[in-house]
Amino acid sequence: MPEAPAARLESVSFSYPLGERPALLNVTLEIGAGEVVGLVGATGAGKTTLCLAFNGIVPQLYGGRFFGRAEAGGLDTVDHPIHELARHVGIVLQDPESQLVTASVENEVAFALENLGVPPAEIRRRVDEALASVELDGLARKHPHELSGGQQQRLALATALAQRPRLIVLDEPTAQLDPRASADVFRLVRAISRERGTAFVVASHAAEELARTAGRLAVLSRGRLVAMGTPEEVYRDTALLSRERIRPPGVTAAFVAFRAAGLTRLPPPVLLEEGLGALAGLPPGRPYAVPLAARGRDAPPVLAARHVSFTYPDGTRALDDVDVSIGRGEYVALLGPNGSGKSTLLRLFLHLLNPSAGRIEVEGRDVAARRVTDLARTIGYVSQNPDRQIFNPTVESEVAFSLLPLRLGPAERASRVERALSALGLLGLRGAHPLALSKGDRARVVIAAVLVMEPAILVFDEPTIGQDEAGARSILDVTRGLHREGRTVVVVTHHLHLMPDYAERVLIMGRGRVLSDTSLRVAYHSTELLRANHLEPPPAALLARALHPENWALTPAELVASLEPAAPAPSP
Amino acid sequence: MNRPSLQATRATAFSALDFRAKLAVFLAVTVAAVAWNDPRLSLGLAAATLGACLYAGISRGYLWLTARLMAPFFLLLLLTHGFFNVQYVLRLTGHARLTPLFSLPGGLPIVGGMVFSEEGFYYGLNVIAKSTTLLLLVPLCVFTTDPNNLVVGLVRLRIPYTLAFAFTSTLRFFPLLFEETGFVIEAQRLRGFAAEDLGLVARVRTYAKVAVPVILGALFKAQQVEVVLQSRGFSGRRGRTYLHESRLDGASVGTIAACVLLVGAVLALRLWTSFGAFVLPGDSSGLAR
Repeated sequence: MPEAPAARLESVSFSYPLGERPALLNVTLEIGAGEVVGLVGATGAGKTTLCLAFNGIVPQLYGGRFFGRAEAGGLDTVDHPIHELARHVGIVLQDPESQLVTASVENEVAFALENLGVPPAEIRRRVDEALASVELDGLARKHPHELSGGQQQRLALATALAQRPRLIVLDEPTAQLDPRASADVFRLVRAISRERGTAFVVASHAAEELARTAGRLAVLSRGRLVAMGTPEEVYRDTALLSRERIRPPGVTAAFVAFRAAGLTRLPPPVLLEEGLGALAGLPPGRPYAVPLAARGRDAPPVLAARHVSFTYPDGTRALDDVDVSIGRGEYVALLGPNGSGKSTLLRLFLHLLNPSAGRIEVEGRDVAARRVTDLARTIGYVSQNPDRQIFNPTVESEVAFSLLPLRLGPAERASRVERALSALGLLGLRGAHPLALSKGDRARVVIAAVLVMEPAILVFDEPTIGQDEAGARSILDVTRGLHREGRTVVVVTHHLHLMPDYAERVLIMGRGRVLSDTSLRVAYHSTELLRANHLEPPPAALLARALHPENWALTPAELVASLEPAAPAPSP
Repeated sequence: MNRPSLQATRATAFSALDFRAKLAVFLAVTVAAVAWNDPRLSLGLAAATLGACLYAGISRGYLWLTARLMAPFFLLLLLTHGFFNVQYVLRLTGHARLTPLFSLPGGLPIVGGMVFSEEGFYYGLNVIAKSTTLLLLVPLCVFTTDPNNLVVGLVRLRIPYTLAFAFTSTLRFFPLLFEETGFVIEAQRLRGFAAEDLGLVARVRTYAKVAVPVILGALFKAQQVEVVLQSRGFSGRRGRTYLHESRLDGASVGTIAACVLLVGAVLALRLWTSFGAFVLPGDSSGLAR
């Protein structure tokens, strides 16, 4: 007799109390025992709402209108209280820190078990077992806030695991992690599913990891379940991906391009190793392109760290003799794992910190003598959380706020606001409350509010976190436009796959040092260095290298060009 | 990765005590602070409590912030007692009239000619010292206790679990609120807003804008925490178990016994002798009030 499903949704529709349209519409989905189901779809497709419907948070906590029937562990999620459903469904959310509710790692895992009335001896056993499963044994007495982001997310997974539910729901569990920590989480999901028979629902934009982990993918679009299939079926459906703005794995994109160019008839693989194996069926590889020199390296430096070291008051050495400069008009991507010193370097440039040793210069002047507020007219800073930079009731007043200290005349002021709104495509939203906009639009508002000060340098800290592919690209398109106007742009990111169309130069940081300072093409082909620093080389670069040691292609289009018989090598 | 926290920064013999023993310390010192009106004793008790806070690893930043926040109120207390507390201080001292320290020029409107008394000044100091002691007892007892042990200790005292958890969650929430406020003020500076360049009204109006993102951020975090708690079976119902049971060890039992004796001694001395009565420094004839 087949095992009962871990969860089942039948014609579920749901609208939030003030929602203009249903967040879920007629969704029918069954999660089998031990199965891993990926939830994919653009931002706003309803993934989070669906995740919360599995354990009754939707509708019990949020209210709203709920239709259809949802069951977890055989219990109706509307009729049974959430704490009862917690025995059957565990949940892990996107932000690791917001999930921490106690003061030690072991208490964090024990919390749910204590609430469920599990005897202390059994709690002890399960805590040890769960921490071992997520490789956090030995850290039981630590404060959860002392853990890295990746460890915190594994701790959240352990808390769900200890409840021994039949289903664990992960809502964008790796959005804020570097690629290595992200891979660790997905590796654990695979192991736990295989060894314990726990079912998982994973909402994520991480195509490569979902392809490796999920047995099925459910595609959501504006609350509807529009497609369901294996990762191969979904990621090979180019029309579906294009329509729903879903990014396929890099290797799939490359083979889709090969097929379109008539270089192969093989169905596109979804795993890198399958792709590498399938290269044998392609025309022979040959040298392609040469490393391009980064533009602007000879331009006068506008940002410079001169043998800078920085140690935090708790003794953490964040930067160690960093000596780097960025020229006027460059577009630089700053890469590195969490804790590598990227944010510290940015904060030093903004004069939010003072170096322990060395000197920071902005436009050739030591920042030590300059105020943060004065520097703001030279360096515009966009943080990864735009909501912290929004204080005003309308988009227009938000943008104009930045001009208050400049004491401009009304005409100049209005003209600058108009230009900034226009540049970011916000003229139609000028009267809207910024916090009522989508995350992508909120990011645009903040960029406009920075741009209105007309800074020569713009610094973006993880601007694409929490954005889907289209949202991320629309923000990066703005950075490209600013760069083309002659501004210097620095972007900190973990999303390597997005940057080939934008950045020219790459700084790779690790353990407080600049480990590599080179062109994007060379950096992306430094596969060993990237992997050693928790960064995953783009699949196109790996495929190129497998085709020929002198193939420097970076994108599917370049890969295709490198295999065409008369392909000319791009000029340096 | 560090997060602002109010928790004590080091483990000490005091922090190792059971929360119920700390509560006994809290009550005993409170009784002494309330019972004693002698400014020397009150100041001594406040100094001892401050010393205990520093020994227990209470953040100096927190202590400094408390001092800065309370300074205007303490000044107000001193002025109030110095200028206006006449009848009560006369009754405490048994004197016929108060000793003037200084008086305001007669030409000043409303307050012209008012006299600031020495007795009122010392009584004001006494009240400030009492307030300081009570203010410092909270971090001493609460911030030296792991929030989980705090919950267990409160539950052992028959406080409903839901209330105990809400209390500790509030303790966790305040540092987050401060952190969020710091982020937003920093974001304003990065938009070129220099508070020091603005007049008072413009400064207040701009800082008021901080409330919007901070409150929204706090509400969002509160909702996230609610989702997490509910998902982990938190309901406050009966039958909850605990990984770490709260047990009174020898040191905790000894502390509770010492506190009981201290309360007895303070009350006995206060009721039957003049020990702790309000007295001016150098005046041995103070009455036992």
